Amino acid sequence: MLCESCGKNPVVTHVKRIINGKLTEYLLCAECAQRLGYGNLLTELGGNYGSLLGEFFGEFERTDLVRCECCGASFNDIVRSGKVGCAECYRTFYDRLIPLIQRVHGNTKHRGKMPGGSMIKTPPQEQLSLMRRELREAIRTENFEQAANLRDRIKELEGGERRG
Amino acid sequence: MDNLRENEYDRDVVISTCIHLTRNLNGIPFPARMSRGDRLTVVQRAKEAVEENKALAHILRYIDMEGLSKTEAVSLVERHLVSADFISDCSGRGVFITDDESLSIMVNEEDHIHIQAYLWGLNLENAYQKADILDDLFNRSLHFAFHKDLGYLTQNPILLGTGMRASLILHLPALHESGGITRLSSNLSKLGLSLSGVYGAGEAPKGAVYQLSNQVTFGLSEQEAIANLKSIAMQLVHQERGLWEELVEQPELQDAVSRSLALLQSAKMMGYEEFLQLASNVRFGISTGLIEGVNSDQLNRLMIAMQPATLTLRSGRKLTQNERRILRADQIREMLKK
Repeated sequence: MLCESCGKNPVVTHVKRIINGKLTEYLLCAECAQRLGYGNLLTELGGNYGSLLGEFFGEFERTDLVRCECCGASFNDIVRSGKVGCAECYRTFYDRLIPLIQRVHGNTKHRGKMPGGSMIKTPPQEQLSLMRRELREAIRTENFEQAANLRDRIKELEGGERRG
Repeated sequence: MDNLRENEYDRDVVISTCIHLTRNLNGIPFPARMSRGDRLTVVQRAKEAVEENKALAHILRYIDMEGLSKTEAVSLVERHLVSADFISDCSGRGVFITDDESLSIMVNEEDHIHIQAYLWGLNLENAYQKADILDDLFNRSLHFAFHKDLGYLTQNPILLGTGMRASLILHLPALHESGGITRLSSNLSKLGLSLSGVYGAGEAPKGAVYQLSNQVTFGLSEQEAIANLKSIAMQLVHQERGLWEELVEQPELQDAVSRSLALLQSAKMMGYEEFLQLASNVRFGISTGLIEGVNSDQLNRLMIAMQPATLTLRSGRKLTQNERRILRADQIREMLKK
């Protein structure tokens, strides 16, 4: 299939938009996707996972014995679709995915938020007010254990904020 | 979305801010490999997460996508509450929204949970804070999939790391007219940012409205990504304004601006694309002081409300194209009356 914009190169990305009340799909090649601002780190490298991985492995691996226990995906499934099957796949195929991830993202590690981490670091007023609301609700429903918990955490956050 | 209007700075160019956070659950296939049963399980767990947390239950309302008419679904996209991809297949999908429509959570889009915070103007920090709180509250029940080196685990490895996309909707009439957007867009992509048209995906998007987003999610924190985006946005704002001084002196342009306002204030029928073009001229007039007595907030409201599906939905009846044009012109005249 050829790009709808230039009519020359193969389609690598589908862009869906609502145009005048209608769902419209644009099929674009890597170059046009880039030019029109629909590129991503992959189109920047000139293709999709299939072609990128092709460069790594020459061709699809013939043996496809290992399957993810959670979702049943094989590594070939991931390569073909460009989509990882589930969170567990990242562990199952870690060694094989890492070269690709490094190619796309560079040789680096995650920096930034960890689950649930930011609440403790920077307690915004809004979060305190949400927690106070939760506390009132816990008291109203006589859920005293949760209330005590919340009260302690609110105290902790307020204390932190005053110090800050 | 009549929320937060505290940040007036740069409102002439920056129309709105949106933060997206993508998250997934452990032990359930990602959306591309999900069975219907899996989809319903994730919906159920998201609902339970909301019910378990009174603060969430208090502000969020759930909409089952399967129960919506086409017009209702398209209107959600027009109001920036869900993506166009999301409504292309509504089965086993749902969305939580707040009454002011500033926050929404898509369930089973490209990832299990997709949190969005949408605010007017340049409001990156506030929007991030809102999305961040929702993320934390949902995480208490859903325990999002995370790897210490890879960050949040996403269906598409491109979003690994923070799983955060931050975007600004910009009005860039002068850069648009100068034909400089394509060059800018390709330079920005080298910096890990994308600039694309909002109304129309082709060569000439309508209304000179563009979206600037970060592409890099891995190896830098949310705050760093937001700071990068903001600094590039400021450069764009500066470039755009730099072109205004000269343009505003041109009689042809002054004429186009005045005529556009006159048309909006008196037309009896109006198509949405025509409205976008006229509104773009008027917004330019407001930003450069050529027009007084009309403000860009009014145009912002109209840009959302005048879209075909949203206009139809709010009228409460089925409309033919002509009826829609008449109703649109009526409402624009009412909003912008002299």
